[in-house]
Amino acid sequence: MHRGQDADLDLVICDGASRTFLRGTVRVPAVRPTSCTVVPGMRVALTGPSGSGKSTLLHLLAGLETPTAGTVSWPGLGGPPQGRPGVVGLVFQGPSLVPALDVVENVTLPLLLAGADAVDAVSWAHEALDRLDIGGLARKLPEEISGGQAQRVAIARVLASAPRLILADEPTGQLDHATGERVLTVLLETADELDAALVVTTHDEQVARRLALRWRMADGVLATEEIS
Amino acid sequence: MIRIWLAGLVRRRAGRLGVAAAGVAVAVALLASLGAFLASSQASMTARAVRDVTVDWQVQVQPGADPAAVLDTVRAAAGTTQAVPVGFGQADGLTATTGATTQNTGAAVVLGLPYSYRATFPGELRTLAGTDQGVLVAQQTAANLGVAPGGTITVNLRGGAATSLRVDGVVDLPAANSLFQTVGAPPGSQPNAPPDNVVLLPEARWQDLFAPLASGAAAADGVHTQIHAARSHALPADPASAFVAESGQARNLEAQTAGAAVVGDNLGAALDAARSDAAYAQVLFVFLGLPGAVLAGLLTVAVAAAGADRRRREQALARTRGVTTTQVLWLAALEAGLVGLLGAAGGLAAAALVGWSAFGAVRFGATPVAAVGWTAGAALVGLLVAAAAILAPAYRDVRSATVAASRRTAPDARSRDRSPWWARYGIDVLLLAGGGLIVWSTTGTGYQLVLAPEGVPTISVSYWAFAGPALLWVGAGLLIRCLVETTLRRRRLVGRVVGPVAGRLASTAAAMMARGRRPLARSVVLLGLALAFAVSTATFNATYAAQAEADAQLTNGADVTVTQSPGVRVGPEAAPPLAAVPGVRAVEPLQHRFAYIGKDLQDLYGVRPDTITGVTALQDSYFQGGSARSLMATLTTAPDSILVSAETVKDYQLLPGDVVNLRLQDSTTKQLVTVPFHYAGIVTEFPTAPKDSFFVANASYVAAKTGNNAVGAFLVDTGGGDVTTVAAQIQARLGASATVTDIAHTRSRVGSSLTAVDLAGLTAVELGFALVLAAAAGGLVLFLGLAERRRTFAITTALGATRRQMRGLVTAEAAVLTVGGLVAGASVGWLLSQVLVAVLTGVFDPPPASATVPWAYLGIAVAVTLGGLGIATVGALRPGRRAPVALLREL
Repeated sequence: MHRGQDADLDLVICDGASRTFLRGTVRVPAVRPTSCTVVPGMRVALTGPSGSGKSTLLHLLAGLETPTAGTVSWPGLGGPPQGRPGVVGLVFQGPSLVPALDVVENVTLPLLLAGADAVDAVSWAHEALDRLDIGGLARKLPEEISGGQAQRVAIARVLASAPRLILADEPTGQLDHATGERVLTVLLETADELDAALVVTTHDEQVARRLALRWRMADGVLATEEIS
Repeated sequence: MIRIWLAGLVRRRAGRLGVAAAGVAVAVALLASLGAFLASSQASMTARAVRDVTVDWQVQVQPGADPAAVLDTVRAAAGTTQAVPVGFGQADGLTATTGATTQNTGAAVVLGLPYSYRATFPGELRTLAGTDQGVLVAQQTAANLGVAPGGTITVNLRGGAATSLRVDGVVDLPAANSLFQTVGAPPGSQPNAPPDNVVLLPEARWQDLFAPLASGAAAADGVHTQIHAARSHALPADPASAFVAESGQARNLEAQTAGAAVVGDNLGAALDAARSDAAYAQVLFVFLGLPGAVLAGLLTVAVAAAGADRRRREQALARTRGVTTTQVLWLAALEAGLVGLLGAAGGLAAAALVGWSAFGAVRFGATPVAAVGWTAGAALVGLLVAAAAILAPAYRDVRSATVAASRRTAPDARSRDRSPWWARYGIDVLLLAGGGLIVWSTTGTGYQLVLAPEGVPTISVSYWAFAGPALLWVGAGLLIRCLVETTLRRRRLVGRVVGPVAGRLASTAAAMMARGRRPLARSVVLLGLALAFAVSTATFNATYAAQAEADAQLTNGADVTVTQSPGVRVGPEAAPPLAAVPGVRAVEPLQHRFAYIGKDLQDLYGVRPDTITGVTALQDSYFQGGSARSLMATLTTAPDSILVSAETVKDYQLLPGDVVNLRLQDSTTKQLVTVPFHYAGIVTEFPTAPKDSFFVANASYVAAKTGNNAVGAFLVDTGGGDVTTVAAQIQARLGASATVTDIAHTRSRVGSSLTAVDLAGLTAVELGFALVLAAAAGGLVLFLGLAERRRTFAITTALGATRRQMRGLVTAEAAVLTVGGLVAGASVGWLLSQVLVAVLTGVFDPPPASATVPWAYLGIAVAVTLGGLGIATVGALRPGRRAPVALLREL
């Protein structure tokens, strides 16, 4: 299911990238000049206290935010992922399914956005749901499933799109411990299956420990890079 | 807590509160504006009714009573400003000799007028030729006798005496019917027509002739005195109250004179008639205004409903934090009260502005009590709308739903897939069928929406007739919703339809609309009904305006009408010089004769059937037995054809083709000659013709048979140019030989009191509100609906949707709303227009053959709606300042 990108190139390169927000007239730096690289197959836990800038850094990596200074490039992804559905797989902390679409329609959405044929998209979606053992939820609406199930559907959405980079913003933040564990397992298995790099922001030590690398953020600065 | 909540509402939800308050304000403003319309229209109805009365009271002195004593009593009566005595005498006939011929008439009435009469009652006499004072003869009498000023007539008094009088002037008696009424007789016993022959003498000469008779045995035989009185016109603004006050004074005078006088209360009769127009004004309010106010209320509820999920979640959160259900309701009541008060204040201010600009006065009721009632009522409606929009859903939630259920954003699957109960039982279709049945039954034969029997204080309004349109409104709204929901369920069909705008996301767009079909269907209903309100109101108003114009043209004849003075004889050859006047497009001569059928005297109009329609509009509704065009063609091809009134057809049992022998005056012998015609059809209205019976025939045939091609009037078409200037130019050329009237002057005088001035204000108010409602129903509801789905759009954007794809998704929904709303608005608007014109047919004079469609206004309404929808679509697509992921965390 992978798209044709160069397997050897770095997926994302941040070169002195920073992001500053304006709160009224006050400039608030969310991410100070940061350099980092995400390579294929990487497993990163991006940790740090609330407000340390980890979500903003994740958004920079996803191309959802534009750096105020410095650059972010995606040589291994063939260019910026913005406007190219399925190039980067995103999993969010809160409910991220479209309420008006059922589970299978939610999974097909990025495929359709990427221009896939509707019949093919439905077929891939069912395949992804079955792989995550949630095929039975296909015709359920998001409001009819639990929070854990919803996150698994969000992961199935990523699986169906087969990206080389998966970015998850506190995917277990609103789940109980056991459910969070299961969701993380599914996420890791999906990354393995796709041979995709995975960056997960989290407060949870146990989650962080399950990823090979740990990036710590404090006050907008990517302070350390260590092996878990 | 309440203070914190309130402060939070004002700070964080100011926009939403403002929009809801604006919705309430529209409902309140519409109601209060209608109150201003009623106040203004009722006051002007009274003023117009009073203005058209020439003599307020005709107090008849009873035989044996002292006229001087009655005169003193009338003068002393409260409200009398002036009173003069008028003598009424009878003559056996009149005679005049012109050249070698002598003309005789039947019985005549001879009036004795004091010198000040014309100044006191200027509307009673209009001089057509000669002087204002002296011996005057009525126009028809002058025509019958063939006399002009300077000629001599002989009055043959009862008892054999005769006296010769030199004619000083010829006059028109515009109010002859009331002048020659039988004072004290009930409406049904009044004479059918005023006397044919009338002579008016100065008081002293009348006394010379009739004083001996008045005191003799013939006193009972028609010689009597009336006291004509002018009354103060400082009356209550409401015609019904003015009628009660004025008629009470008349009865009081009769009581004071103890049988010596009977009051002919013309002022009271005019107010009596105006009461029904006042009732019609109220009916118009109900028919034309209430749907708009209800729509504004529904719009407010829809605006509030767009934020219902958020409000429900907030209240559920408050409940989980320990707030009691009573406190939740108090908080909702507080929000509703705030919205209601803001809306009521804004609405009343807007209505005051509207009243001031449209009606020239800031007044919400004809009387102080009514004004307070309207103001309080409109404000109360505002509060009720706010309560229905905000408090009622909160009450429903706390009573029936658990906190968990309240936090859900959509109804559960079971209730989502089930049709509403009314759709399952076919209530929508039943309502439409019931409404149709009521309309059909109430608009049948003999239907009268408003019944105000003359002289009876009570007015009867057929409120049952309101049920028809009301059921149609409700039924149409439900049916639209049902049809839209049914259509949106068919996702493949919808997907194909929106394919051109949504592209590959067509199936996704169809799925989103299928799941969100209820709010979308509600939006279509609102937009459809708002457009239907605009269509039906505008069509009704345009039809009314067209018929008012037709009425003015019927009365005046054409843009400008030149009526020849009696004694002035001109033929059709006088038309070309008139056509040469700058601004004149065409001139059409119209003969006017008097013809006897049996013993009845009727007006006869001789027309040039092939050219008459070039200068004046002949509607098909003026004729029976054929269209205007076909009957004019008949008069051309068969010149001895004649069109007669329905009453004449009935009285003489005429069948098409029957010979109708009329007696017309021969120009040479001045004697009546029999002219045969063939009955070809029925004419009910004709330019310049009276409301009662008359004939229309071919002018060439009439001229050939009577040896007289004299023209009674020239109808002048200005092609829509400045009629007043053209009329002034023609009058300057013709001098006193003719009377020139223009349609602009006639327009301001004709019709009932429920005419142009009042309805123009109502029209402006309603059409303005209809545009606001259409734009709001389209744009605001769509925008708020889309704004509620910011989460969906944020997710879709985060998943990589391009701007073009997002535009496709939003545009697909806007397109469904637009097409659905326009189709629903056009069809329901057309239906309701037909119903309104049928049910309110009593308002029209003459009745319309078909509804007039105001295309320009409808074009504006559609443009405004599309503009509103376009702005909403663009607004929903406007890129936010926040990254979609950041937005997702907050939503």
